[in-house]
Amino acid sequence: MRLALRVSLVALLCMALAGCDRPAADTAATPTPPPPPAAPALQVLATTDLRDIEPLQQMVLKATGVNLQFRFGGTMESTEAVLNGQSGADIAWFANAKYLLSDAQGQSRVKLQEKIMLSPIALGLSESAARQLGWDRPERAAKVTWKDIAAAAKAGKLSYALSNPATSNQGFMALLGVVASAAQKTDGLGAADVDRGAIAAFLKGYRLPGDNSTYLSEKFIERQGIDVNAFINYESWLLGLNQSGKLREKLLLVYPHEGVSTADYPLLLLNDARRDDYLKVVAYLKGEAAQTWLARQTLRRPVVPEVAAQVADILPRDAMRIELPFSPDRALADGLIDAYLNEFRRPIASTFVLDTSGSMERDGRQQQLIQALDYIAGVDRSLTGRIARLTNRERLWMQPFSDNPYDLQRFEIPAGAPAARGVQVIEDSEAKQKALAQVRAFAAGLNMRGGTALFDAVLKSLKNMADEKQRNPGYQYSVVAFTDGENNKGRTFEEFRRDYEQLPEDARSIPVFMVLFGDANEKQLRELVKVTGGRLFDARKTPLYGVFKDIRAYQ
Amino acid sequence: MNKTARLLVTLALLGGFGGALWFSLRGAPAQLAATEPAAATALTGLIAVDVEDFFKNPRVVQVLADHRLPVQVTRIGSRDMAARVAPGASPDFFFPSGVVAATQVTEAGRKAGIATASYSPFHTPLVIASWEPIARILVDNGIARPLQPQVYGVDMDKLTQLMLARKRWKDLKHAAAYDVSRSVLVSTTDVRRSNSAAMFLALASSALNGETVSDRDTARRTALRLAELFKRQGYQENYVNGNFEDYVSQGIGKTPLAWIYENQIVGHALAKGGIGGGMVLLYPQPTITNKLVFVATSERAKALGALLSNDAELQGIALQHGFRIADADRFAKAVQPTGLAVETRLTQVVDPPSFELMAEMIDVVTKEMGQ
Repeated sequence: MRLALRVSLVALLCMALAGCDRPAADTAATPTPPPPPAAPALQVLATTDLRDIEPLQQMVLKATGVNLQFRFGGTMESTEAVLNGQSGADIAWFANAKYLLSDAQGQSRVKLQEKIMLSPIALGLSESAARQLGWDRPERAAKVTWKDIAAAAKAGKLSYALSNPATSNQGFMALLGVVASAAQKTDGLGAADVDRGAIAAFLKGYRLPGDNSTYLSEKFIERQGIDVNAFINYESWLLGLNQSGKLREKLLLVYPHEGVSTADYPLLLLNDARRDDYLKVVAYLKGEAAQTWLARQTLRRPVVPEVAAQVADILPRDAMRIELPFSPDRALADGLIDAYLNEFRRPIASTFVLDTSGSMERDGRQQQLIQALDYIAGVDRSLTGRIARLTNRERLWMQPFSDNPYDLQRFEIPAGAPAARGVQVIEDSEAKQKALAQVRAFAAGLNMRGGTALFDAVLKSLKNMADEKQRNPGYQYSVVAFTDGENNKGRTFEEFRRDYEQLPEDARSIPVFMVLFGDANEKQLRELVKVTGGRLFDARKTPLYGVFKDIRAYQ
Repeated sequence: MNKTARLLVTLALLGGFGGALWFSLRGAPAQLAATEPAAATALTGLIAVDVEDFFKNPRVVQVLADHRLPVQVTRIGSRDMAARVAPGASPDFFFPSGVVAATQVTEAGRKAGIATASYSPFHTPLVIASWEPIARILVDNGIARPLQPQVYGVDMDKLTQLMLARKRWKDLKHAAAYDVSRSVLVSTTDVRRSNSAAMFLALASSALNGETVSDRDTARRTALRLAELFKRQGYQENYVNGNFEDYVSQGIGKTPLAWIYENQIVGHALAKGGIGGGMVLLYPQPTITNKLVFVATSERAKALGALLSNDAELQGIALQHGFRIADADRFAKAVQPTGLAVETRLTQVVDPPSFELMAEMIDVVTKEMGQ
């Protein structure tokens, strides 16, 4: 029980942080090695959304003599590490540490804290969409509420990108904004206050999910004006997109009237022995040079008012931006996430393309695959487990392949009985337990033999998903493909590419999340996701089940 | 080395020794202590964050050195201080942020058989830092009244009732300037950890009870009723400057009403040479004052306590950090150039409930917040 609580807390903490950006398998490039340190480096554990502040390392060294060594981590792991006192870091730097600091143990880990910069969550709306909604008029934009946003989403006028509400601060706080708006109050919210209709309406417009602002920005650039016209994220990311010159049209920033949550990027001292260095770094970061640099280069707001006045030209003026109070109510958070996953979200429909070639018998690969499938079809009721596991209403096809793609096998998780009022964590029904057991039985029965006809299998799965999408457009479609070796049967990559181009637009809009495992050909798979859209995940060094869990946040 | 040079060196050395001897016989005057601070052992002290900047001030360091009372201070939480009172292992002094924590230290000293002496060299009232549009709404609703430009008195009884009635800003009359769904709430730091939040609880309990709470039943009942004023705030900053920093850097949208020590905003105005546009102060009527209490556990620390209270220069430096001293006119003169308007004469001041009752009330609120 205690353990479950702890795990659940850790996952919850994660939401509070920087969008839970995890280091992407394909972007986990080694940071530039720091110059030889004069004193032991000050180890900084930072969330990946802070990658853009890395040039500060040199600036801090020059100004203070303190050598910062940044380690960017998956938020969930980082937060857990801080909580357990096993981060190995002297200081931590998160977008938002409110969950960490709402917890007595989290508080005891943090010796000193200082906010460094600010970035509120905002709705970035394509200018044409803003005009259509009449929100391009400043006096109207100032009064837009989360309820208005939900109504526009329901009416099909607003379709947006947003990081996963179950794993990210931006996603969760957006949901909380809708809850507050519908309840007509922003403080003292409890699980019973949740207006289920408003949440459902808001999520009608949720078109582009993900778990990492870099990924979402890339996809948004590709799809703006096609099937998305808005992006909910930290202001700094939206302003950065506007400056990038890569958008089809600029984004108009709207700060919903009843409130938004602001990331305040506290720098947290964990190791008291490094207090002096920490204080030097804080003094520098809150000084004019660093504050100005942060504002100009990263578009985050200075916490120092004098500097804020100096850079007012590059940041939007906001006469009144209301802060949405942060609720430490665990029942509300747990219930809202559970309901989001199992009831409100656009249900997932995906095909898992599984390599069952002979090479899978080597090195415990088969066991890893079974473990990973057991994990997503498992009984783990912790929040981490809940994010990974199959959700109510989800449709799943298994597409094993070796020399050829085999027959598709379909699974469906039944819908649950919604709570009468508000939200709460609902126990699994018997029917759901049965469906999950079927998936596990399927995994246990896989036979490994023959060659690797990967591209045939991916193409077949995409066609299957496209057919399904035509019949049931209300689902979120994707293909998850997994291979441990090089394609040696069926279509070559060139043939695949040619046939892929012939697929209808609908099929081509379905992302392929490709898992790199065993002796798979990284270059070719990278090419594949470039053609199909989606993302490459590397399971060569991390356990396969962990990668499957990561992918779930993108589905 | 020629003869002349050798002679000069000898004279210099002699002069040095002789001078030192002469000075030490005279009883350590200022110049010597300044050049040889190692001559006096530093007094060790555990201090609250509120006075950390004061002790860091180079002029304070100088004055203390001049009086052969240099200090070595470590900042810890006020509520953690009592636990550090131990025979033979206590620091020379404690300087917690308020009376409640100081009483804890004195109590712990009594139990451990350590004699203590208390001094209150400076004080500051608790105020609500706010914004002109907010103050006007409160005036229009009969909660506040203007006292002078940028200064308002706020009726603590009415404000407490308004908050307990769960009124939102947009429910008030003439609230167009702040027509939001947020409840009217004064934002405080975490009452479980912070002295200033405890002072809010003390003041609100007097408002609700009609007089200072003086018995256990009333304390429990009142705290139970007031707990929601903390709980409904949601996440609260748990370090003393968090609330004030949010007021300064995030403004009216985050903290329309910020419960702070007056010295925080006065010190800020003095350091920055002014304040941001639209900032105003609301003085609760009645209000409550925070006395910073210096608790000495050694003879030399007693001398330091007396010095802090009586030395004109140290008192002047305390003013520069925003604190009030016994001399109200001096305070008014110090603040005047910043353009920050303050209410220099506070007429209605309530006493906080006794230490035991405060602890009881904080306990009740803590339990409620954990629910």
